[in-house]
Amino acid sequence: MSKPAYLSLQQLTKSFRDISAVQDVWLDVAAGERLALLGPSGCGKSTTLQLIAGIQQPDAGQIFLEGQPLNQVPPERRGMALVLQKGLLFPHLSVGENVAFGLKMRRVSRKEREQRALTMLDQVQLSGFANRRPSELSGGQAQRVALARSLVIAPKVLLLDEPLSALDANLRGTMQELILRLQEETGVTLIVVTHDQSEAVVISERIALMFDGHLRQVATPEVLYQQPADETVARFFGGVNFFTAQAQGHKLTLPGGDILTTAYPQSGHRSGSRSGPQSDSVQITIRPERIHLLANQICGTNLLPVTIIQNRFTGTQRHLSLKSAAGLNLQAWVPPSLDFPVGQTAFAHLPPDALWSFPQVDFTPSLSRQQQPSAAPPTG
Amino acid sequence: MRNLVRDLVRKSLKDPVAQKMLLLLIVSVLFLPFLPLLIWSFAQGWYFPQLIPQWTLQNWSTLFTTSTRVGQGFVQSLVIAVCSTGLALLVGMPAGRALGMMDFPGKGAIKLFLLLPIIVSPLATLMGIQFMLIRLGLSGTLLGVVLVHLLPTIPYITLVLSSVYANFDADYEIQARSLGASAWQVFRHITLPLIAPGVVVGALFAFLISWNEFLLTFFVGSGRVFTLPMVLFTALQGGNTGLTAAIAITSILPALVFLFFSSRALDDNAAIGGLGNV
Repeated sequence: MSKPAYLSLQQLTKSFRDISAVQDVWLDVAAGERLALLGPSGCGKSTTLQLIAGIQQPDAGQIFLEGQPLNQVPPERRGMALVLQKGLLFPHLSVGENVAFGLKMRRVSRKEREQRALTMLDQVQLSGFANRRPSELSGGQAQRVALARSLVIAPKVLLLDEPLSALDANLRGTMQELILRLQEETGVTLIVVTHDQSEAVVISERIALMFDGHLRQVATPEVLYQQPADETVARFFGGVNFFTAQAQGHKLTLPGGDILTTAYPQSGHRSGSRSGPQSDSVQITIRPERIHLLANQICGTNLLPVTIIQNRFTGTQRHLSLKSAAGLNLQAWVPPSLDFPVGQTAFAHLPPDALWSFPQVDFTPSLSRQQQPSAAPPTG
Repeated sequence: MRNLVRDLVRKSLKDPVAQKMLLLLIVSVLFLPFLPLLIWSFAQGWYFPQLIPQWTLQNWSTLFTTSTRVGQGFVQSLVIAVCSTGLALLVGMPAGRALGMMDFPGKGAIKLFLLLPIIVSPLATLMGIQFMLIRLGLSGTLLGVVLVHLLPTIPYITLVLSSVYANFDADYEIQARSLGASAWQVFRHITLPLIAPGVVVGALFAFLISWNEFLLTFFVGSGRVFTLPMVLFTALQGGNTGLTAAIAITSILPALVFLFFSSRALDDNAAIGGLGNV
């Protein structure tokens, strides 16, 4: 770790009555970083955000911002700005007054806050809207005003709680671009809570994946796609191909024959006794879009003879269901130009660098501690 | 046929002239009972064969003499109503918030309990209260009357505000907090403006209840606290119809003024234009 963490969550734990919402969360965020808190609904990601914002108090654990403990600091003095899902503009204030609200609370002079509010409205492309009422705005406009209102106070950390989930698909893309542009212009540290993995991938540099109140994996989107920590993570990111194989070094033995992988297969449950060459049972996975489908047998390694079971055209891709000669079921997403008719035989090429393996054990808290190093911010 | 009538009614309701007529009708029905009162207050006597009474300003001029105690009653009524409304708001706002926004065991029971002073006749409780107030030395004092007026006003304000708070989105407060507003600033700039209509309605209720209260004032005031309803009662017993009418009209005035201002406040709230008070 070359630079100290800007925002640091340490051992954060919070439960409501008997239901534990956040458990033992450790997370470091670098200054100016874009981080997504991703997970299915009810996984504790929003609670984590509220703990950071100071709306909720943790049962245990510490939050540090720039090395200063935040636990005793009330939300209004944390220097964080929260944008909620609904946008939530104050209905009794005009758009301009809404944007200037944070400045007014900081007793900035009227002239300055008016000017800064107007500049901020320009930046979200809503110049001329200052005198409108919030009720006159569309959902996307309201969300943009909410962004402007949060950014005008120059927060140390901008917290977005499902900012786009109330918008329709087209608007969502535009808003993502706007958020990215504003983040770049202001350099603000950004934490986005979302349940949508595609949104998390687009917006963030790093994704913190949460399940059941636990932080499961913190990594770049690429790593989460290509090198998921376990099957649940892989499935959350759309992984569909999972096989059990016997691993020996870089060689994996599948029912259909041997294949090679560049990733050293993790041997989880018997890690204590890794002495000498021995075969371990591992779970391997490959992303459906990484499988190549060939009509002829060109090269020798990692080729599986398969039959096309199903061919679904999705517009940008073809989703093919394959069955190997040895009975393995595979899903391959190929370019739409590769139109294999159902029933035809072909060769599926599994590139060695695309194969990923993880131990065949379910997630346990002890595993989370093993993965703690990955929760550190990217060095550099 | 029924559809025809319905369509006709619907169409005429959209017609601005018809709307004005309807409004006029409603207003006149509501205000017609006050007409004889108004006439009586300017009449020297108004008995059967007379269609129009003999006009006089005497009733109104007696009103301003100290012997009728109207001035004293007016001031005392005003002080008591304003104080008890203020105190009831002080109790009713947090209580209404708790009832409207929080869930806790026994909430239903507390709501029912709050209704008790409205359901149970004050006569049933007055003896006990009077006994307590005498022991505290508050019987026959303005403060005692203010306190006892809280009995019917607090439930009204609390119940009105609990339904207001039930429709209030606490996320507004969270949002304001995270934008840098302290707890007090959140209340002052966000919560209060948003619940203002409910507060105004609740306060109006409380003010009118306190203003018109007779029985509680009569008992606890022990004749030393003399509010307008008591002045009115005395005049009524005196049998001077003209004077009684004048006092009755006087006693309506503050309510009308309050109503006027509160309706303006409600209107203003809906239409603050411009960048205004950024």
